[in-house]
Amino acid sequence: MSATAAARTERLTVRYGLTTAVDAVSLDVPKGSVFALLGRNGAGKSSLLRCLLGWQKATGGRCELFGEDPWNRRARLMERVGVVPEEPDAPREMTPRQLGAFCARLYPSWDAKGYEARLSRFGVPQATPFVRLSKGQKGLTQLSLALASSPDLLLLDDPTLGLDPVARHAFFDEIVAELADRGTTVFLTTHDLAGVERIADRVGILKDGRLLLLEETEALKSRFRTVRYRSEVTEGRTDFGTELDELEPVRVKVRGWGIEAVVSAFSDERFERFAAKDGIVDAEAAPLSLEELFLAVAGEGKDTIR
Amino acid sequence: MTPRGLHVDPRDAVPIWKQIEEGMRRLVASGALAPGAAVPSVRDLARDLQVNPATVVRAYQRLVEAGLFAVRRGEGTFVAEAPPSLPKPERTRALAEGALRFASTAVTVGASRDEAARALEGAFARLAPPKEGEKK
Repeated sequence: MSATAAARTERLTVRYGLTTAVDAVSLDVPKGSVFALLGRNGAGKSSLLRCLLGWQKATGGRCELFGEDPWNRRARLMERVGVVPEEPDAPREMTPRQLGAFCARLYPSWDAKGYEARLSRFGVPQATPFVRLSKGQKGLTQLSLALASSPDLLLLDDPTLGLDPVARHAFFDEIVAELADRGTTVFLTTHDLAGVERIADRVGILKDGRLLLLEETEALKSRFRTVRYRSEVTEGRTDFGTELDELEPVRVKVRGWGIEAVVSAFSDERFERFAAKDGIVDAEAAPLSLEELFLAVAGEGKDTIR
Repeated sequence: MTPRGLHVDPRDAVPIWKQIEEGMRRLVASGALAPGAAVPSVRDLARDLQVNPATVVRAYQRLVEAGLFAVRRGEGTFVAEAPPSLPKPERTRALAEGALRFASTAVTVGASRDEAARALEGAFARLAPPKEGEKK
């Protein structure tokens, strides 16, 4: 398993004092795949990423990049890893051109042409000090720097946060092109669910440090549905949703017109059996976007029944 | 360049690779992609649709396996010159499956058989407008 994984964690745990930021998380990212780690602010995404980068020592468990421990092998591993941090970070007075020249000396396989081509494609001025670039330009400069080292693994920490739609589009466009050209493995944390919905092979959902879910995007989307229906018997009922048991509801809301639930074990046959039950009227099922799915699984829920 | 009429909707329950596969089948069936025509490279299509190239590869592989697309080494992917003809039993099965799906839709929306038959004619007409001089 570890021979084919670009990144892997095994019961990885990070504690800050009494707070557990990452709680026994096990996951692996096969080479050439695109993995999106989703979670709200404070869910533990950045701590996990910092461990993978060798910036932080795990409190417990282990993590690996290409089968090696990033804490001990950081310098060597980082040659193979491109990083785009959450907060664009570079010396304030350095221009994109100077940053490129500086990084070229650090990476044996630096692609100077590709770096300049990307910057001009993105419309990033090459002679403007970093501090005076817009947020989008900063992010795209970071991505250009990360890709110019021809990385085997790209680690992106919420890279499109705060970018305008044009910059976001350029960002994902470039990642898709990189995937096609080099088959680079991508590990990203994100709030931008619409952006990753089409490119992520697998997603993990982190909540309060725990991995709630780790699954192929396609499988995930095929088993989740929003189910809406009316029940003929409503008076005095408090057990709404029990008729959905076989579909494994994760969230049930009683609305004026009927009942709306998100279910996690949808199949055509199960749904047909449910819809045919006594007293169930106008049952329909609709697919969820990744964003809706995330909200149902990881959102705060005073309306969560189970 | 992405052929006109090919769209993917990530919100659809149908997997994206399948949407691409079916979209391509429709384009070939309608003649929008002619036999022998070049199809967009995986890279270009992935970029235009903003999907993972692996997703496009999966759709193309299935179309190649089905004989609808052909790969010419070093040149790229093309629509096959001769439309593949399935062996009789498989063709019968594929038709029966499709017909059952269509018939179920017709029944559930409360359409009469005549209405359904007209809709089917209409679908054929949209796919392949009758050529000049050709009877119906």
